[in-house]
Amino acid sequence: MGVLMGKITLNRVYAVRDHWSLSASGTFHEGVHLVSGDVGTGKSTLALMMAGLFPLSGGDIEKEEITTSMLSLQFPELHVTGLSVAEECASWGVDPGEILDAAGLTRRKDASPLSLSRGELKRLQLACVLAKDYDLLLLDEPFSSLDCGEKAKLCTRIGQKSQGICVIFTHEQNILPRVTRIWEIVDGTLVDCGTPPCAFQHWRHVPPVIKKLTALGSRPDNISPDDLREAACRIQG
Amino acid sequence: MQDPRIRIVAAAFLSVAAFISLQGAAAAFLWWLVFTPRLQIAKRIRLVFSLILMIAFFSLVLELFGGGGLSYFSRMTVIVLIGMWVFGEQQSGEFLSISVWLFGTRIGFELGMVAEMGIQSLSLVTADLDRIRIAEKIKGMQWGVHSLVPAGLVLVHGALSRAEDTAELLAVRGYRSGGTLCPKFITGTIDCVAGLCASGVVFFALIPVSEFFILYR
Repeated sequence: MGVLMGKITLNRVYAVRDHWSLSASGTFHEGVHLVSGDVGTGKSTLALMMAGLFPLSGGDIEKEEITTSMLSLQFPELHVTGLSVAEECASWGVDPGEILDAAGLTRRKDASPLSLSRGELKRLQLACVLAKDYDLLLLDEPFSSLDCGEKAKLCTRIGQKSQGICVIFTHEQNILPRVTRIWEIVDGTLVDCGTPPCAFQHWRHVPPVIKKLTALGSRPDNISPDDLREAACRIQG
Repeated sequence: MQDPRIRIVAAAFLSVAAFISLQGAAAAFLWWLVFTPRLQIAKRIRLVFSLILMIAFFSLVLELFGGGGLSYFSRMTVIVLIGMWVFGEQQSGEFLSISVWLFGTRIGFELGMVAEMGIQSLSLVTADLDRIRIAEKIKGMQWGVHSLVPAGLVLVHGALSRAEDTAELLAVRGYRSGGTLCPKFITGTIDCVAGLCASGVVFFALIPVSEFFILYR
């Protein structure tokens, strides 16, 4: 018996707004995908389009074997619908006890979510989003407002996901999870760079550390800190 | 219309005309049809439809319980359309230019800057509201009365923190009062014609048309 694999296909989708446009084609299969690009290139818009929350100017999006999906927005305060931290957790349909414990916010459970710092609120949002399994998980700038330790924890958490499609939209350059495929938005168009490490040749937003390691003759296998460390160790012998 | 000074004066004339009489509202509506891009603006400002619906509701209540609802609806709708046109045509920096032109680089600059910040804040609040509604959809929640308190809190919180950031930025840059600006305006022929017609609309609104028709009969 074959295992059904989910996928999302963008068929020449495009969005136009005043003097800005974005076009995208490609198929996202199961695994972790990284969509990079400069600020303002349309990463958030693409995430909204893939979540079905942004009207397309043209083209269409096909989803196969995707019954559950989730989009985590860049700004955590815009997700707030509860009047207390515990109520906010419950609004995501998750158990507040476990989530608050995981996010280290148990003592703040009765506080207003807006009294948390942006970093704390982001931690809470991500803990709620990652508590459930989705066929399609879209993470818009998940690393923003997090410190290095939290970024590393998030990478580990994303790496633990064994099924579904996870798409990370980010301009983060330093701490990233191991990914299946790399994409980038260049001049208003989504470009498929391929799978790492071959993708590094075509990837315009390749992190400087990968560029440096490659120049030194030790190309990393992937983009996670472990892969970079392993490549660095190879140089030192 | 390129010249914001004529636009604002015309909008004031037309609003007064539409408010004081039904014939003034009709003339102002005609002016709106001739001199504005109409539907292009309506597409960009979704709020106008909700406002017209709200006016329709109050007009119906007025018509049912005291009369004059239809007149109220016509006049208020025209005022909303004029307001929508002014808001849709407004370009960033125009209030600052007009204010400096009117009141100089000290008080004028400050008044203009406050007005610009207000307009900017309004557009950011609209964008925030859109994102909040998206967030509710993501959580599988329906937008309704229960959403008003949390959404209001987020909007107020966002507006206050942005205001604080702006105040800090101005303080860090050493802003004390006033500023330097040489406002420039482009006045086209259409602007002059539209402005003159708008003043004509006010005169037309003040003419006692009903009495004229009685005399004529």
